[in-house]
Amino acid sequence: MLIGDDEPMIRDVVREVLEAEPDFDVVAVAGDAEEAIRLAERHRPAVAILDVRMPCGGGLHAAREIRRRSPRTRIVAFSAYGDPAVVEDMRCVGVTEYLVKGVPNADLVAAVRRLATAG
Amino acid sequence: MQSVIDYAIFMLDPSGRIISWNAGAQRIKGYAAEEIIGKHFSVFYPPEDIAAGKPDWELEVAVAEGRLEDEGWRLRQDGTRFWANVVITALFDNTGRLRGFGNVTRDMTERRKAEQALRESEERFRFLIQNVIDYAIFMLDPSGRIISWNAGAQRIKGYAAEEIIGKHFSVFYPPEDIAAGKPDWELEVAVAEGRLEDEGWRLRQDGTRFWANVVITALFDNTGRLRGFGKVTRDMTERRSAERALDERGRLLNHLIHAQEAERRRIAWDVHDDTIQSMVAVGMRIQLMAGRLPDEHAAAISRLNDAVTATIGRLRHLTFRMHPPEIDRVGLSVALSDYLAQVASEAGLMWELRHDLDREPPPESAITIFRICQEALTNVRKHAQATSVTVSLSSADHGVLVRVIDDGTGAGPSYDGPARPEHFGLIEMRERAELAGGWWNIEGRSGGGTIVQFWLPTPPAGGPAERYRPK
Repeated sequence: MLIGDDEPMIRDVVREVLEAEPDFDVVAVAGDAEEAIRLAERHRPAVAILDVRMPCGGGLHAAREIRRRSPRTRIVAFSAYGDPAVVEDMRCVGVTEYLVKGVPNADLVAAVRRLATAG
Repeated sequence: MQSVIDYAIFMLDPSGRIISWNAGAQRIKGYAAEEIIGKHFSVFYPPEDIAAGKPDWELEVAVAEGRLEDEGWRLRQDGTRFWANVVITALFDNTGRLRGFGNVTRDMTERRKAEQALRESEERFRFLIQNVIDYAIFMLDPSGRIISWNAGAQRIKGYAAEEIIGKHFSVFYPPEDIAAGKPDWELEVAVAEGRLEDEGWRLRQDGTRFWANVVITALFDNTGRLRGFGKVTRDMTERRSAERALDERGRLLNHLIHAQEAERRRIAWDVHDDTIQSMVAVGMRIQLMAGRLPDEHAAAISRLNDAVTATIGRLRHLTFRMHPPEIDRVGLSVALSDYLAQVASEAGLMWELRHDLDREPPPESAITIFRICQEALTNVRKHAQATSVTVSLSSADHGVLVRVIDDGTGAGPSYDGPARPEHFGLIEMRERAELAGGWWNIEGRSGGGTIVQFWLPTPPAGGPAERYRPK
């Protein structure tokens, strides 16, 4: 898994939540969109968990580029915003799982597992 | 008779030959007595009249009816024409035998010219008034009913002449002015003082408002009787917006509203980006801990997690009320459409957002529009018992016109009146619109339901209102 989020507290706790699952392995953590793209290209993670609003182009740009450079990587959007326009933009670049921050950890884990096993 | 010079006075024998001649005849027609006596009077008629047999016909009528009066072109000796008033009188003797005709001819050329000039001038003036489009110029009868209408009136107010003539002019006034008796009061002042000038909001046919400069002039006839009123109305909406923007008080007010919104926006973003994110992280940690702690702590941890989740919800609600973040990120229409979708799904309403804005309104207008829509939609949700709601945004009069239309139980004028003081939301909506230099009103629809509509001016970017923006 790859985590992209500019908020260190969120980054760290998402990592712990995912690593608490025996079958998950976090291979990279990024603080902005460009770093996320670079790390995804290098590590080819099964799933990338991306914040929508982050520096260097945002989650939309990161998702589009990761889909292009690492086509087997599936993406979960993990965002502070749930507005339909943003959800639709993400869907257009191939993001099918969209979670608003504040959902139970179990929902995040379930979404990641759905994509990991589908891939 | 011989020396009269204003009239040509001469006699004809029964066959129409001239048998006497006076000084006026010589002056008007040019012939001396010796040149004309014995000639037939048809020499005075233009060829087309002779061809039509007019001279003989005129004598026949004079014989049959005693006299004949005619106006028309006649010829002078030199061939030029003059416009003549002619009276031919048949002269009978005691036995009833026709002895001849008296002919009195007057040269009316000058008077005819003057009359024609006056008529043309009046027609041109009427044409001018009818076609002026910058001003609504129309007349009222003494009771205030509309009796004339021009192109400017149609352009400014929207009604065609046939739709408005006969109606009372109070249809142009907003409900609050009618409740205050303003239309009748204005006519009374115009009667007492001759004229009245006023500036204020007036209604168009479609219910939207414009800022009008109005002059009413009382019209009295020669006997001093009131015949009606002349009314000249000009649409000053655009100028008012410009003047308001320049006006010191308007600028200060704009500055205050802007400063307040900027502060609210800053706090909202801080809470959203920092506080809420931290709370989210805390909540996720608590859930992690729950899995690792012994069972006896499960209930306490669960309560703690619920408290964090509830706090996140309240903080999100707070930031939304402070400043909906969508307005900055995705613009007014998307923010409104998201909000509408949310309200409608909670209340089980069908909804529609129509918008045809030329451009995104400036941030201070966008937030005011959003806030008023929020209030209006709250009323729809709480009070209207509606099944559908439509919000429309359109560019109008250098501003934004917004309508919130529902199909519920209807509000009607009483909604807006002092009878419903508990509806502070209505007062707040109106105040927001008026503070921004616009107008607001609520009315029942004829088919049931309510329309809230309002308009805000949107100063062009870089205009005077921009100068106070914090850099």
